[in-house]
Amino acid sequence: MTSADELKQKLPAAVVSTGMQLNKPMAVIKKEELLNAARIVMEMGFDHLSVITGTDYTDRFEVVYNFFSYEKKQNLVLKVITDHDAPEVDSLTSLWKGAEWLERETYDLVGIKFTGHPNLVRILLPDGWVGHPLRKDYDMNTEQFVTMGEDGNDIVSTDGKNLLRRK
Amino acid sequence: MIANAYELIVYILTLLQVYEPLLNVFQLLGIEYVLKIIIVFVEIGVLFVFVLLTVMFLTWMERKVVAMVQSRYGPMVTGPRGLLQPVMDGIKLIGKEDIVPAKADRWVFTLAPFIVFIPALLVFIPLPFGQSLIISDLRVGLLYIIAISAISPIAILLAGWASNNKYSLMGAMRAVAQDISYTIPLALAAIAVVMFTGSLSTVDIVNAQNGTWFGVIPKWFIFLQPLGFILFLIASIAEMGRIPFDFQESESELVAGFFTEYSGMKFAMFFLAEYAHLFSVSAIIVTLFLGGWALPILPFVPAALVPLVSLGIFLVKTYAVIFFAMWLRDTVPRVRIDQLLNIGWKIMIPLALLNLLVTGFLITAGVF
Amino acid sequence: METDELIINMGPVHPSTHGVLRFRLRMDGEIIKECTPVLGYLHRGTEKLGEMKTYMQFIPYTDRLDYVSAFPNNYAFVKAVEELAGIEVPLRAEYIRVITMELNRIVNHLVSIGSLLMDLGAATMIMWGFRERENALQLFEKLCGARMTFNYIKPGGVREDIPEGFIPQLNEFLKDMEKRIEDYEQLINSNEIFMMRMKNIGVIGAEEAVNYGMTGPTLRGSGVNYDLRRYEPYSIYPDLDFKVCSRPEGDSYARYIVRIDEMKESLHILRQVVDTMPEARIVSNAKYGTAPMTGTPSAVSTYFPRIFTPPAGEIYSRIEAPKGELGFYIVSDGTTKPYRVKIRSPSFCNLTAIPKMVQGLKIPDLIAAFGTIDVVLGDVDR
Repeated sequence: MTSADELKQKLPAAVVSTGMQLNKPMAVIKKEELLNAARIVMEMGFDHLSVITGTDYTDRFEVVYNFFSYEKKQNLVLKVITDHDAPEVDSLTSLWKGAEWLERETYDLVGIKFTGHPNLVRILLPDGWVGHPLRKDYDMNTEQFVTMGEDGNDIVSTDGKNLLRRK
Repeated sequence: MIANAYELIVYILTLLQVYEPLLNVFQLLGIEYVLKIIIVFVEIGVLFVFVLLTVMFLTWMERKVVAMVQSRYGPMVTGPRGLLQPVMDGIKLIGKEDIVPAKADRWVFTLAPFIVFIPALLVFIPLPFGQSLIISDLRVGLLYIIAISAISPIAILLAGWASNNKYSLMGAMRAVAQDISYTIPLALAAIAVVMFTGSLSTVDIVNAQNGTWFGVIPKWFIFLQPLGFILFLIASIAEMGRIPFDFQESESELVAGFFTEYSGMKFAMFFLAEYAHLFSVSAIIVTLFLGGWALPILPFVPAALVPLVSLGIFLVKTYAVIFFAMWLRDTVPRVRIDQLLNIGWKIMIPLALLNLLVTGFLITAGVF
Repeated sequence: METDELIINMGPVHPSTHGVLRFRLRMDGEIIKECTPVLGYLHRGTEKLGEMKTYMQFIPYTDRLDYVSAFPNNYAFVKAVEELAGIEVPLRAEYIRVITMELNRIVNHLVSIGSLLMDLGAATMIMWGFRERENALQLFEKLCGARMTFNYIKPGGVREDIPEGFIPQLNEFLKDMEKRIEDYEQLINSNEIFMMRMKNIGVIGAEEAVNYGMTGPTLRGSGVNYDLRRYEPYSIYPDLDFKVCSRPEGDSYARYIVRIDEMKESLHILRQVVDTMPEARIVSNAKYGTAPMTGTPSAVSTYFPRIFTPPAGEIYSRIEAPKGELGFYIVSDGTTKPYRVKIRSPSFCNLTAIPKMVQGLKIPDLIAAFGTIDVVLGDVDR
């Protein structure tokens, strides 16, 4: 019995389906039950949260969590599917501290909001950036320029007339 | 017995049979003291040139020693094996624009490098470079040296304050804290040496180290005062601000040190002062602990050559100590500021006092 | 008398932040109360580029992630692609890959230790480290023509076979390196001042380190004895004999010692690989799919199609890069370009723990602790 099946046994209401991500057991979780499922996963011994990935399929968003257990040497993948218009998922920061930056990066680049996150601001792009680059409908034609303001903070604008550029 | 360089010059002039006629000429004009002043100026001129040349050589030596340890070559392009590198550095620094920050205190800003540089030169006066090669054999030579060295914290504060830069000021205050904390064990270690000689004069200290035990081991104070030697060495490296005690100049810290705002010739003066200080401190260590210019196991030397030979011995010993300081610089990392003050106050001062106590006890007990 | 808190900005251009990283420090006198790293100065949009380039075109971009150790970056991506597409690799190619990766591990640790000591003030170690690194880089140049960004490991094998004279030069390098590591240990390990600066600085416990997602030498320095090469092995690592180096204390000194030990283990691995390397005439008979095939199968690569389409699906695959666990999550939709490439970089996840590690320390301690985390900004910002 794989760990995904174990999870299904423990929390049948949360798990939509189980399967395999190539060679790792995978469970698709309902969005509302993510925090409970994550707590059970942590109790099952999966203490290493490896990566949080957000993907933009044009009709939905998927957030994939890859877990690993140092003791049992097993993998587990959790997947949450949200709708396309207002993607929102619970934050796992209360359980894994490493999730803080991974979720910030997912918010920054893909645009998925994590409720309950202590500090959900952009991390790789400057604060005033418009749009989420890894979405499929990101506007690739407008250039955004980043300059430095008075107090050392970044100013983002689409108006590049004052910059020295070689055409 | 020729006591100092003045008398040496008079002796040489007498040998050349020029002294008497010159003296007569000046006596005729009634201003014979002018001759004395001229001779003194000649002495000081020789010393000044010697110090400048030494400092230039030391900058080259430092870069070569560091490069040797790091298995690379160092300066090789300017002059044969890079010997003209200090000249090129000097020319470059003179050609730089002399920037004075807008809100800085102009007077004090310009004065501070001189106040750092001049004591570095003044320290050389009571140093015995060889038999009778001393500018002036002050009876309080050692006290004079320590007192003059204590002027530099004031100059550092002046430099930091006049720059009108809060990081320079913070850096200056830290440098002064370091200086003061390490002057105390330095002085205490030196006093233990004075207990043996009973005199503060540097010539007396060197003469007290004459002779040998069992015909082989020279009677240097390093053997009588090993703990004092180590304390003095560490304290002087800390006072100079060299690695491992150079958090001031470490680029990995936030504050860039008290001479951030200086450029061009003023910056050069700080650096010259630092290397002059290095040389003078090594010379003091050699005088106090390593026997000065004396090497008793040497065979008999004709009296006319004694000044030259003793100068040579003195320079070899001083450069050995300088080499050790440069070697230390490449090998160890920096000490943190609070660890540095810890060592100075909590470890070195008690050890120096213990050293004094034990020495005093042994002397009164008649062992020495 | 009340004292105020000072907000100090360190970076992004700073000699000891190993790249363009900015720290916003809130300080009470000399003690750091709060430390916020500000990232993104080197963000180049690699993940977005992954969606616009074919699989083969993306491999040079992986070189530029952690530019100090580029071979493992290549390999992590290629491993993910190979698992997704089911490509088999000839044995000799695996051996060559392990040689390059372990050499790169040594190079990476030399740079890391050298920069750490340069920040602390002893500039000798970085000069010696770069002298050895020069030998390794000349080996790389002999192998694939580049010193830093290699683009050598491809899906199906490696680009070309090792040239004449590579193995003798490698053997010389191994002999040389052993003596040099002893030199480094003598210079640094029992240096009083070094121990004063590094012991009990930046301590992080084992459970906390796991919770933060730290991996690699930083995790092994906290007592968690885990190495992906041993417990989830890939390539030929199941057949190799090596120790997993770890120390229980969790401070900066422990992390430094783990890196020195890992260098020695890498030498051990390299010697085994060189001894047991298969001959050039062993060829794999793996065939791949229905894509147009260019090139012929050889000792070091299977069919090398420039454009190929793996089956639709997703995969997350990770390797033990010198800095930690480097993972690639690839989603393929059956076309020639990936649908999504996500890079799990070790430096990014290790950096998460810095604010916790340096609370209550002074700035020189921040520099010492940060140097042992071994962060390269190309990896953090991607």
